[in-house]
Amino acid sequence: MSRTNSAERAALDGAAASVGDTAVSLSEAAGSSSGSRSPQATASPAIHAADLSKRFGGTIAVNSLSMTVQRGEVFGFLGPNGAGKTTVVKLLLGLARPTGGEALVLGAPLGDRETRRHIGYLPELFRFQALLTAKEVLRLHCRLLALPKAAWEEEARSALETVGLLERANDRVGTFSKGMQQRLGLGVALLGDPALVMLDEPTSALDPVGRHDVREIIRALRDRGSTVFLNTHLLEEAEHVCDRVAVIDKGTAIATGSLDELLGRHSRVRLKVAGPGASWWSSLSRFGRWHRQDEWIVVDGIDPPRIADLIDELVALGARVEAVIPEHQSLEARFLELLSKR
Amino acid sequence: MNPTLTIAALTIRESVRRRLLLAFVTITVVIVGLSAWGFDRLSHAHSLTSGESDLAVPQALILFMFMFSFVLALSASAIASPSISSEIESGVLMTIVTRPIRRTEVLLGKWLGLAALLAVYAGGVCALEFGVVRWASGFLPPNPLLAGVYLFAEGALLLTLALLLSTQMPVIAAGVIGVAVFGAGWLAGVVGTLGTTLNIGALRTVGQVGRFLLPTDGLWHAAIYYLQPPSLIAQHLAEGGRQNPFYAQGAPSWPYLMWVVCWFLIVLIAAVASFERREL
Repeated sequence: MSRTNSAERAALDGAAASVGDTAVSLSEAAGSSSGSRSPQATASPAIHAADLSKRFGGTIAVNSLSMTVQRGEVFGFLGPNGAGKTTVVKLLLGLARPTGGEALVLGAPLGDRETRRHIGYLPELFRFQALLTAKEVLRLHCRLLALPKAAWEEEARSALETVGLLERANDRVGTFSKGMQQRLGLGVALLGDPALVMLDEPTSALDPVGRHDVREIIRALRDRGSTVFLNTHLLEEAEHVCDRVAVIDKGTAIATGSLDELLGRHSRVRLKVAGPGASWWSSLSRFGRWHRQDEWIVVDGIDPPRIADLIDELVALGARVEAVIPEHQSLEARFLELLSKR
Repeated sequence: MNPTLTIAALTIRESVRRRLLLAFVTITVVIVGLSAWGFDRLSHAHSLTSGESDLAVPQALILFMFMFSFVLALSASAIASPSISSEIESGVLMTIVTRPIRRTEVLLGKWLGLAALLAVYAGGVCALEFGVVRWASGFLPPNPLLAGVYLFAEGALLLTLALLLSTQMPVIAAGVIGVAVFGAGWLAGVVGTLGTTLNIGALRTVGQVGRFLLPTDGLWHAAIYYLQPPSLIAQHLAEGGRQNPFYAQGAPSWPYLMWVVCWFLIVLIAAVASFERREL
């Protein structure tokens, strides 16, 4: 399940960018022109933060956070409760002001009003106007986005259909369950074909069907070229849809990369091999560290493409390979491991 | 549509659906209906001469309008105090201010929507009450339009103050402070009237300072002035011009009105600045 590509590599390189790089990006953004989804240069990352910090009195909520989210990727922002995830989202949206560092969103400074036209946002804790119908809420946001009036009806219908609320279009939001409000929030975030969709715990109130639907929506957003910034503490959710993730704890990114890189999925394969012969023991060492565990042989540190080579070699040496089990570290295990190191 | 007007329209629509207007209209119609009976009795009372009746009706009207001005002020505070703070707490504003709209436009839109509701209520109350009094007694205030405008202005000032408080304070605190400040302003006016009547300089100063710090009482007295017929003013002058909280000796001066406009702008700008700086 490898999703790593050159763009992600570039993003990883960019994650270590300095404040000086930010200054360059700022000038690029200022000189860019309109034409596509965003008025900012599409070459600029969707999000670029350099030493971003936020302090509330004596409490440090975000501590010199640096990261880059490339356009078109689904970026998971993971961390335990109170890690500073929502504060980062608020900083990126201009809802709160950073006390240090800089960041660009779609190539523009934080809080840039015109850029907000290209951002869809689903807050973690929110409510819509209870006395409006779902359709009226969507039309209100179409109006706030300054979409052409002729497009409102179709935008609203499409959003309602996507989130499965078409039949409740004319019902007042006050009658909706929390999960339905979250679906509507997602629909509102999708209006106007946003270049960047920021989802803050989008499935916290949803049932399994709803969670599945959200994953499908996120994949569809990626397919149409939108960037998705997924703020979640549900690791399974991130594992299903994210191209890259950052793990944040105490306001600092403690790991960033693709899931493959983060999980070290090349690390281990478990083999059941029959056919004695001292000669093939030594060949195992060329593929990684190995040890015996009951009737199993466990090879650590092997790259996935080399598993086939290992099997070929064992067969060539006369061994009968009865079972091969590649072992993946779960994101949860890796997440806990990362946090325990701090 | 302009974003400010969009928010104003949203504010009005929500208030209408909340049946806020319906509740106010129902209560007002009941009170005005009762007052119709009262004014009819007053103007046809056998115990009063026609001259006494001509003085009693306007004085009773001023008392009624005082009650409505109180309701208007309370309503202004009640509808403005949750408009920002409760929407921050509930997260409604999070979905609005992340759109390409200035916070200034959000705040001005809310002010405009609430002020429009207040204007409708003030206009409706004045039209109904003046109409009823005219029907029952034949009396119409000398300048009903200006009286209505000053009543609305009084509510609008309190609305603006409550909106400012709402940008930083929880709903209940903003509402209570708004009402308390209005009450204190009115009381300062009463103290000032007492000071004038009893010729106590310190108390007179309290009234004067109070009307500058919070001009609602000054505007209420401006409304009173335009509710009083010349006969009522003449009677007060004949009695030596004795002051009372329900009598106004003169029209508001232009410098005072200019100060009221400045006060309004200062508070409105402070509300905008406060909301712009507020982290959500």
